[in-house]
Amino acid sequence: MTLELLGWPLAAALVLAGIHAWLGLHVLARGVIFVDLALAQVAALGATVALLAGHTPQGAGAYGYALGFTAAGAALLAALRDRPALARAAVPAEAMIGIVYAVAAALTVLVLERVPLGGEQVKALLVGSLLAVTAADVLRLAALYAAVAVVCWIARRPLAALSFGGTVRHARWWDFGFYLVFGCVVTSSVRVAGVLLVFTYLIVPAVAGAVLARTPARRLVIGWMVGALASVAGIAASFRWDLPTGATVVATLGAMLAALGALLGIRRLLRGGRRAALGTVAAAGVAIALAGAALAALPHADHLWLDAAERVAPALQSAFLSPYERAVAADAQRAVTRGADDVAALRSRQADVAWGARTADAEERERLRQFTLGREELVAGDRMVLRTLRAHARERQRFWLGVPLTLVGAATVCLAARMRRRV
Amino acid sequence: MLAAILAAATLAVAASTTDLRDLVAAVGGDRVRVESLSDPRQDPHAREIVPRQIALLKSASLLVRVGLDHEPWLARALTAAGAAPRDVDVSRAVTVLDPDIPRLAADVRPHVHAYGNPHYWLDPENAHPITARILEALSAARPEDRAAFADNRARFLARLDARLARWRARLAPFAGARVVVVHDTWPYFARRFGFTIAGAVEEKPGVPPSPAHLGRLIERMRAAGVRTILAEPGASPPIVRRLASATDARVATLAPSVGADPDAADYITLFDVNVERLARALERAGSVPAVPVPK
Repeated sequence: MTLELLGWPLAAALVLAGIHAWLGLHVLARGVIFVDLALAQVAALGATVALLAGHTPQGAGAYGYALGFTAAGAALLAALRDRPALARAAVPAEAMIGIVYAVAAALTVLVLERVPLGGEQVKALLVGSLLAVTAADVLRLAALYAAVAVVCWIARRPLAALSFGGTVRHARWWDFGFYLVFGCVVTSSVRVAGVLLVFTYLIVPAVAGAVLARTPARRLVIGWMVGALASVAGIAASFRWDLPTGATVVATLGAMLAALGALLGIRRLLRGGRRAALGTVAAAGVAIALAGAALAALPHADHLWLDAAERVAPALQSAFLSPYERAVAADAQRAVTRGADDVAALRSRQADVAWGARTADAEERERLRQFTLGREELVAGDRMVLRTLRAHARERQRFWLGVPLTLVGAATVCLAARMRRRV
Repeated sequence: MLAAILAAATLAVAASTTDLRDLVAAVGGDRVRVESLSDPRQDPHAREIVPRQIALLKSASLLVRVGLDHEPWLARALTAAGAAPRDVDVSRAVTVLDPDIPRLAADVRPHVHAYGNPHYWLDPENAHPITARILEALSAARPEDRAAFADNRARFLARLDARLARWRARLAPFAGARVVVVHDTWPYFARRFGFTIAGAVEEKPGVPPSPAHLGRLIERMRAAGVRTILAEPGASPPIVRRLASATDARVATLAPSVGADPDAADYITLFDVNVERLARALERAGSVPAVPVPK
């Protein structure tokens, strides 16, 4: 079942990672980060106009309109390259891209008001669904992108000169060609994977490559590795923890970049010696002082760090409860665990009845429903008891934890700053 | 001039959906002027307010609405219009399915459709209490027309009841059949026509399904032999196609509201269309009830 469901999405993700890592290097080097969002929105506008003209949203007509609009968008972006008036006013390329995006999005809203099938269909077109790709989708994408890759290989020298510096004749035409190919790829990818996933596939691997390597070839290899790894890990995580696939892969790419940043930070710390270490200690001191002060000032606000710490070490909370409160908390905790198990069992029995694996007449079904609701309410009640006890603990943690943390943090900052001045 | 006099003689009513618009029109006849505030082809949750709604709310003396949490945009529109037409929340007239209200106080998690499933107009039997509530509201605004309103309502319900018998007969062979829905739109429809909703593609309304949920759904559909999927015009086509091809199921795209499909032009043809499409899908899927239904 796993392979049947996830095989083609994984193949599609790898195909997307392949072409987008390469395009991402160019986009990053040109400083036109949001060009794919703008072109995707122009493509969506095209698809919406196609609906108005009576085409079905997933049909070839809509795709043709989307491509046509994308070509027009590409021409517009290429025409805006190096305009003397814009250069004089120091208007960056991103400004024009942002304007194209906003106007295309607004026009889409306006056209949607007149479209018989409504926004849902176009939203589906824009969002795509990695989980729903079929073998035909993947093969079509792979064939298209292979053709694009061949064209780009033939034209690699002028394209590289445009993006990474160098002189090219007919720069505006090459620019148009690049945006056209780019728009064609983005339009096709977005139909399968959605705007967010396409954007992260484009930028995250390219950023990782740019940070870790100097030459475009090495950056591309690193980008491919990051993209492939995140695809496999993201899709596996989506299955393991029962999460929507596209969003999980996006989050995984973000997490990989964050991990890379943390590693680079540690490396810099190790190389920077005592001075850098003291700077980090001072920053940690500031964080501790702020967290402590927040706890002391607003004990009933959300303190996520304390929640997490209490989950790892429950003693951190129970130490601030009276023996009686501790007994109540233990009771409530046991009841929540038992109740959650009961609710899961009842829900699965309800599902069995709905699917016909178990028979129950109408009265029994209603009794089962009522019983499940009642059980859920009891669990919610026990959770409320736990929350109330936590609020009691917070009242005491405020003085015994918040105030000392503030002082310790402040002292750490002062000490680190002083020692740093001496280094 | 004549138009202005005629307009003054009719009662202006704003209905939040096309379904309620049709029911108000059925009771009010030519003595009310009723328009729908929403377009059934748009997602009610992502709706932006348009000037037409403001104008409509300003001129209306009555506002007939679905209630529960079905019209999140309505409060904004009323504020923007600065109008307070007499509020007729029709949900109070019907028995609502699946309410979670007792849990709301104790549980801090957000709930979708927490006050109960709002798609109650999809049970044609519910037209009786709904139109009773409408009759009461219209008569309170125009006491002199009460008899005419009551006549209109009786005529409409007689027509509807005659059709209901026909719809029931059409779906009777499939009583007890199991179907899978995309959104949680059809519990009232299912209860009236005697089929069972075994599962939903979207576990939480509006959130795309996870692979594990879709996998479980496919397994259960295969095990239970469920081969009918009910979708709405707005359902994500790739997901529905994928599920249908994995389970060899038939997809029936039903209209959740009057006007959501060009063939569902009014409240009665809404059920004509839905009953016929469902019956055809069940026929092609070769659905036989897994459990015999007691007569």
